[in-house]
Amino acid sequence: MKPDINIALLNAAQEIINRFSPLIDDEYEKSRLSSWGALILISAMKFNDSGSSLKQENADILDWLLKFTNLDEDDISKYGYKVTSEIQDVSLMDADNQTLRGLLDREIIVLEGKEDAEGLKASYLLMRSMHQRRKVSDLVGLLQESES
Amino acid sequence: MPEELPSLFLSYYSKLIEKECILLSFERIFGGASRETYKIEVSHDVDKIERLILRVTQDSSLIETDQKTEYLAYSAYQNSSVPVPVLLDMSEDSDILGAPFMLMKELQGAAASPFTPNIYSPHEVELGEQFWSILGEIAKKEIQEDIFKSFLRELKEPCWKNELDKWAKVIHEDSIGVEPILEAGIRSLYKNPPKEPERITMVHGDYRSGNFLYLDDQITGILDWEMAHLGNPLEDLAWALSPIWSWQDKERPAYLIEKEKAIEIWQNSSNINLDRKDLQWWELFAAVKGMAIWISAGNEFKSGKNIDPINLFSAWIPGDIHLEVILDILEDSL
Repeated sequence: MKPDINIALLNAAQEIINRFSPLIDDEYEKSRLSSWGALILISAMKFNDSGSSLKQENADILDWLLKFTNLDEDDISKYGYKVTSEIQDVSLMDADNQTLRGLLDREIIVLEGKEDAEGLKASYLLMRSMHQRRKVSDLVGLLQESES
Repeated sequence: MPEELPSLFLSYYSKLIEKECILLSFERIFGGASRETYKIEVSHDVDKIERLILRVTQDSSLIETDQKTEYLAYSAYQNSSVPVPVLLDMSEDSDILGAPFMLMKELQGAAASPFTPNIYSPHEVELGEQFWSILGEIAKKEIQEDIFKSFLRELKEPCWKNELDKWAKVIHEDSIGVEPILEAGIRSLYKNPPKEPERITMVHGDYRSGNFLYLDDQITGILDWEMAHLGNPLEDLAWALSPIWSWQDKERPAYLIEKEKAIEIWQNSSNINLDRKDLQWWELFAAVKGMAIWISAGNEFKSGKNIDPINLFSAWIPGDIHLEVILDILEDSL
């Protein structure tokens, strides 16, 4: 699809914030519309890499599970996750992601029970990288600029 | 806003003050997801304009709290060193305005966005001293016996468990995805509980930047008491100190004054000796409680019960930040 979806969303956000919102007199409705503009702006910025980020996150969790737990690929597939190099749509990858996150949480509990500092440290590093890839809070400054 | 609300209000208020009133304005204020808040101007005598604030319970709100909780909390601090609006009326009856409500006099001043750096400049020092001192006053105040007893019914000890159970339940009921960082944070809290406070105090429940009114260098009102309860005063301190309220300048909680100075002012004002280890527990708790609120907002949005963009914003931005705060604390404790 050309122009790209994220470009369409970016322009929609700018129109909402700069063109339509100032036309509204009612302060509540004006703020509400501006908020929608800001949220569409965030969506536009995260849109392109949402699929690849999810794929990478799943791969990272799988690596961690295989390295720091007693689970092997067969065990993990029993929970519904199949290792595949095929391109999947986002909803399928998200379902896999929930399975893997559930396993990650369960295995962290095991490490906590064993007081395995090395494994826990590795789990925090993994969770940090997962969070870094997903987070949108670093866009707060940008939103403030767009609204000013 | 329901179309008939202004006319219902006019008729109700005329009856309340036993005078014929004219409605000059009736505007909803944006923000806040637990109550619909309206700014109202009425006149009933020549040249006499009354400015009022109406808080109406929403059909779908993030945190289910009854109107009476907020009313009693405001009542507890009327005519005290904690500035709060003058209460006029409260009703739990939905027949009058379509939902329970509370009516107050409007205070002068404005509330700031908690996510805007330097919003209080050039008065951050004066406002900071008042902000932390008032929080100490909230903890210090002896609460009137009948109000205290009303709140006491909901208190189960230990306080920390009472609060943690409550918010963990919200998280597990409203969660729309598995979040290992948050689960690790909850487990850590249960595993390393804090001491009980020397004295049970009133806890505002949402004392932070953005929930007070200020005019130049003066704090004119402390607002949004709907999550008030009895408990450990460190809960409020930790919530107000949470890095989320000064994400772009973490050394100055609430974008006011430096953390150590803030704590010193709070200790002097509250007469409470701070246990740093207990404060750390409550700081982690604050992030977990925050996550419960943001998850609940995301759930409201996703289910379509309330598609106010503030719910989506809450799930995305504050939800992100508090998750990072939890991870920072867990890593530091390893």
